[in-house]
Amino acid sequence: MPAQSESSAEEVRHLRRCISDLVSVLALSATWTGGRPSQIIGNSFDALVSMLSLDFIYARLKNSSAAPFSEMVRVGSGWKSKPLAEEFGKKLQPWLEGDPQKSPAVATNFFGMPRMTLVLLQLGLQAEIGVIVAGSQRSDFPQQTEKLVLNIAANQAAIGLQESSLLSAQIRVSSDLGERVAQRAAELAATNEELRKEIAERKSVEGKLLDTHEKLAQSEERWRLVFENSAVGVALADFDARLLAANPIFQKMVGYTEEELRLRSFLDITVEEDRDLNRMLIKELMEGKREQFQIEKRYWRKDGSVLWARNSVSIVVGTERSPGFLLTLSEDVTERRSAEEALDETRSELAHIARVTTLSTLTAAIAHEINQPLSGIVTNASTCLRMLDGNPPNLEGARETARRTIRDGNRASEVTSRLRALFSKTNATFELFDLNDATKEVIALSVSELQRNRVVLQPELAVDLPLILGDRVQIQQVILNLLKNGWDAMSCVEDRPRGIVVKTERDESGGARLSVKDSGVGIDPETQKKLFEAFHTTKRDGMGIGLSVSRSIVERHQGRLWAIRNEGHGATFLFSIPASTNT
Amino acid sequence: MTDGQEQSSIKESLVVVVVDDDESVRESLPDLLKEFGFTVLAFSSADEFLASESLDRTTCLVLDMVMPGMSGLDLQAELRNRGRKIPIIFITAQKDESIRKRVLDQGAVDVLLKPFSDTALRKALSKAMGED
Repeated sequence: MPAQSESSAEEVRHLRRCISDLVSVLALSATWTGGRPSQIIGNSFDALVSMLSLDFIYARLKNSSAAPFSEMVRVGSGWKSKPLAEEFGKKLQPWLEGDPQKSPAVATNFFGMPRMTLVLLQLGLQAEIGVIVAGSQRSDFPQQTEKLVLNIAANQAAIGLQESSLLSAQIRVSSDLGERVAQRAAELAATNEELRKEIAERKSVEGKLLDTHEKLAQSEERWRLVFENSAVGVALADFDARLLAANPIFQKMVGYTEEELRLRSFLDITVEEDRDLNRMLIKELMEGKREQFQIEKRYWRKDGSVLWARNSVSIVVGTERSPGFLLTLSEDVTERRSAEEALDETRSELAHIARVTTLSTLTAAIAHEINQPLSGIVTNASTCLRMLDGNPPNLEGARETARRTIRDGNRASEVTSRLRALFSKTNATFELFDLNDATKEVIALSVSELQRNRVVLQPELAVDLPLILGDRVQIQQVILNLLKNGWDAMSCVEDRPRGIVVKTERDESGGARLSVKDSGVGIDPETQKKLFEAFHTTKRDGMGIGLSVSRSIVERHQGRLWAIRNEGHGATFLFSIPASTNT
Repeated sequence: MTDGQEQSSIKESLVVVVVDDDESVRESLPDLLKEFGFTVLAFSSADEFLASESLDRTTCLVLDMVMPGMSGLDLQAELRNRGRKIPIIFITAQKDESIRKRVLDQGAVDVLLKPFSDTALRKALSKAMGED
């Protein structure tokens, strides 16, 4: 059956070509991605015309936009002149509006061609996308395979057009969005421009400040370096004494890291006995009573040992931009203090010995001076008696020895007046002076002694104090004496701050009055009576001379020295000196 | 009277030397010692005494403890160095137990604290003369 086999072979070739065409049609869609409808239709029409040897293929696409539809056509090679898509549309109009089920249909005298077989294809299930019309003059058109290729191509095109439509919708949306974004961007750009201008303006101002800023930055850097590398401990705390920052030296001194310190207050790491004084001083800083203070106090190190520190604390008042803080410069004086403490015992022992030695030397000198004439008196008087007792009495000898007795008596009296002159400075130099100035000098001299005794001295010096006439040095001795008395009276006070208030004021009669108020042990009534008697003392190593000498000095200035008991702790010693009549 | 003269003449052969830098002592003490009946020589310093010819005649020495130059203690040591065993009565205006003890250990008869009574001096002299 060669004919049959021939036709079978032909059939196979035909089917192969159909498969190849289908593959091509399916492959076409790959080229449509993102394409416009015209591109999709154009591509597939070109392929179909050549694959199926069509005379033409026409598409009418429904548009969503204003125009009712758009038309497109591709023609085969047999045309002398190619009509426009619109002309095809008009010619095909009866079929386009007719029942698509009547395809294939035959048109006669189609642009001068006697018989044209038309195949109608819907784009979309309800032809909602559009319609395609393929035409061929061949009598065998459309073969089964050709119909299949056309249907599949139409389906592919429909999918492509749908995607394209979705894409264009998306593009529209996104372009809408893009437009709005662009608009907003433009607005922003405008604002930006304004800002830029503003910034530029500001920058020009800032430019002028730049130098200052740079200098500030340099200064800040410098201070930071000072803080970090300072040889003394530097610590900042807030007004509740909570630690804000501490430099490496301070951390090393107390043995805590900065983080550990932040969890504590200064007072937490201060030895209990030193806390009250510290607290009081900080309170005074806050109340503006002082701008800074110095204190020697003890810290508990992290390892439990005690650190003696000499602190200078000042207050840095807050501004709008930064809160205030306490600035502490801290120096480790543990070594010095322990050496001092060891020395203290020795020193007080030595002081006592020195005092006793001085006294015994003095006593010896006095004894020698007085006993010499006394010895002469006794011897002469004895001789005199013996001469009178003689037989006969030696009257001449007795007279002579009696005369010597009187002479030695006078000599003894001279010795005592010489001693009095020695002990009381008779050549006092009286001058006009300001009691405030004299007081300030004494306070300045006493600073280290006050610190050693952990005493806080608060001066309250009057501004309207009259000048006084007197021996400035002697009055200063009195002030020093009263101060010393004050801190001695507080030497065993541990349960409260050791404070001395030195106050000067104009007294009721226009004179100058100075008072020294301590918070020490105070005076009991019994002691008060004897307070100013020479050699009365309540101190272990006292001589009991200070107050009596002080009183005699003040009285020589026509003044008065007295003491009162405080309502709370301690006592107040006061003296008044009349104002100079020369002023 | 006779006893008194005899006693007096014996005592006059006893020479008491006073060494004191204080003039009033050199003035008053010899008179009292003379009243006691002794022969008295007075010097204002130890050097003056040593330089004098009186050393060999001295029966008893009444010596001030503190003097400029050679002190009473120095003189005591010097005499001992020279092998002279002259009884010494120290007189001083200063009470000092340690010095008192030291000079007594060195052989002093007594230490009298100025001002001293005539009886205390008399007693010390008696002791020095070996009368007790």
